[in-house]
Amino acid sequence: MVQFLVDVLIRAVDLALIAIGLSSVYSLIRFPNVALVQYATTGALLALALQMAGLPLLAAGIVACLMVGALAVLLNLMVFERLLRAGSAIAMIGSLALSMVFSAIFLVTAGPRAQRFELDIAPPLRFLGARVTEHQLIAAAISAVAIAGFALILFRTDLGRCMRATATNSVLARATGIDTRKVTGTVVFLSGVMAALGGIGIAVKGEMSVHLGLDMLLPVFAAAILGGLGNALGAAVGALVIAMAETLVTNVNFGPIFGQSLLFIPAAYATAASFLLLVIVLLARPYGLFVSEVKRV
Amino acid sequence: MHKALLAAACLAVIAVPARAQDVVLGAVLPLSGASATLGDDQRRGIELAVEQINEGGGVLGGRKLRVIVEDSGGRAPSALDAAKKLVTVDKVPAVIGEYSSGITIPIGQYLVQEGKVHVNIGSSSGRIRALGDGAFSVIGLDNVSSGFAADDVIAQGWKTAAFIAPNNAYGQGVAEQFQKALKERGGEVVSTVLYTEGQTTYRRELQQLERGRPDVYVYSAYGKEAATINREAFELGLNSTPWYAIYLSMCTTDADPKFVQGQYGLDLNNIGPDGKSYEEAYRKKYGENFRTSFNGYGYDSVKLLAAAIDKAGSAEPAAITKALKEIGNGYQGATGDITFDADRQRSKQPYLRLKIEDGTKQR
Repeated sequence: MVQFLVDVLIRAVDLALIAIGLSSVYSLIRFPNVALVQYATTGALLALALQMAGLPLLAAGIVACLMVGALAVLLNLMVFERLLRAGSAIAMIGSLALSMVFSAIFLVTAGPRAQRFELDIAPPLRFLGARVTEHQLIAAAISAVAIAGFALILFRTDLGRCMRATATNSVLARATGIDTRKVTGTVVFLSGVMAALGGIGIAVKGEMSVHLGLDMLLPVFAAAILGGLGNALGAAVGALVIAMAETLVTNVNFGPIFGQSLLFIPAAYATAASFLLLVIVLLARPYGLFVSEVKRV
Repeated sequence: MHKALLAAACLAVIAVPARAQDVVLGAVLPLSGASATLGDDQRRGIELAVEQINEGGGVLGGRKLRVIVEDSGGRAPSALDAAKKLVTVDKVPAVIGEYSSGITIPIGQYLVQEGKVHVNIGSSSGRIRALGDGAFSVIGLDNVSSGFAADDVIAQGWKTAAFIAPNNAYGQGVAEQFQKALKERGGEVVSTVLYTEGQTTYRRELQQLERGRPDVYVYSAYGKEAATINREAFELGLNSTPWYAIYLSMCTTDADPKFVQGQYGLDLNNIGPDGKSYEEAYRKKYGENFRTSFNGYGYDSVKLLAAAIDKAGSAEPAAITKALKEIGNGYQGATGDITFDADRQRSKQPYLRLKIEDGTKQR
């Protein structure tokens, strides 16, 4: 049971960082940015390249996060702002196209092989019968701190107030003197940093391939939609629910029903379970579990 | 423009007989992807054989032998494209390869359909037996290895086993065969997991596997995937239970030695009585001991094909097939006695019992 909770938490923090970024950017500029999951891969690959170049992992991670944040702002100014003038559907398709470009660039630069950070691997720590590795603990702790930090910014600072005001009614916010472009830029930067951090967190725990981001696309979207697109902290709860569904489905032993001692659903079907859940929830609550501050377009 | 065309035509006329001097064969190997290390080792065996044949005067009375090696990327579609290219562009009479059964079977089917010769040097799925005339295997198939593994597991005193292998033609075949073989010997496979290839984590699969609380984990996985499985098994603490690898060198070649310490396994006894000179030649050329146990089959396949071409006095597929059947009867290759059965599969395949203790050791 404890192992189950540990597995859920580990998976949830993987999803949460990117889902929060997706949801908060959506709340401001009203389109779900598919390329965000590729920022996660970019972050992980950059951090790996920097570590190989001789930087300690911590420094490599920080530099990679900042670079990806800057990249997110740059792409937002150069690509998405223009596409958004034509409508949010166009911008979303544009972001899908951009994420394909990212995939091609990863294949050319990093190659198709899975890679790992140079880290020592120790036997697992035992905790109430559950096994956790040091790297899992560290990655989860850093992610939790990042999520808490984002929540603090959102609810305790002027910047957060401006963000929420812009999200609720951007015309009114501009009229009251808020520089909404600057607010959007800041949130886009933070979303890039969080996505990169999420990607690095996944890579530290195991291996990373160029598909790291695309593999996360569906569960991350499911988490963000489940939490109510545009509701940043709802996305965190959504991630927890999706993680729980995925872990539950691969852990339940269906053997007794079919007269065998052990029978599991293949782990590759875990994502399908999270989607079934998403469909059921959306049928009952079309705007997600938590009504967001903004109605969706 | 006309001059250029004329020049090109002249060149073509000159070029064709010049190229025809060489006897060209093809090979499709996984030079990238999860089995890249194994594929490259197969390539080494082929390379060595080609060098030795050409140093010894080539084939068909002095013509040079050439083997064009194409990368499959470890994916069936790319492997098929590569095989088609070899057949239609390079016009080779015979193609060697691949490594994974899930890929060997489709390219074998394609080659048989085209009336070419196919030589399997690394796959062991029982379904390879049904490929049809023109398809040969110089490596023993699953039914032989599964029985050997089950004998070995029982001999170690283990009664219950959990089994994990890739969800493809190879994994499905060996899972079924091993389960049957262990049951016949009084043991039981308590849980079986077939994993999806090419993932970066197998944590969930391993957690399902451990629910059976087995005496031993039996597994068979491709190089880099096996490395991930071994690392995650270590991170989950599953290595306190014994692990048994079917094709130990395939399962551990890419793994960190720390994670596979103490593993048991079987492997191909890839060095026959006449294999010593091959082993020395390999060490001399590549400056290390055998990377995996699969290079020798690449070497033997080229030697066999060259001998068949010489015997037939022609590089036509039908003639090669006929000659191969005659030669493949007590042929002494680097990997031992190669004798084909009625289905053109190697009928004798010796195995080794191994254990990893600061390096692989024979038990």
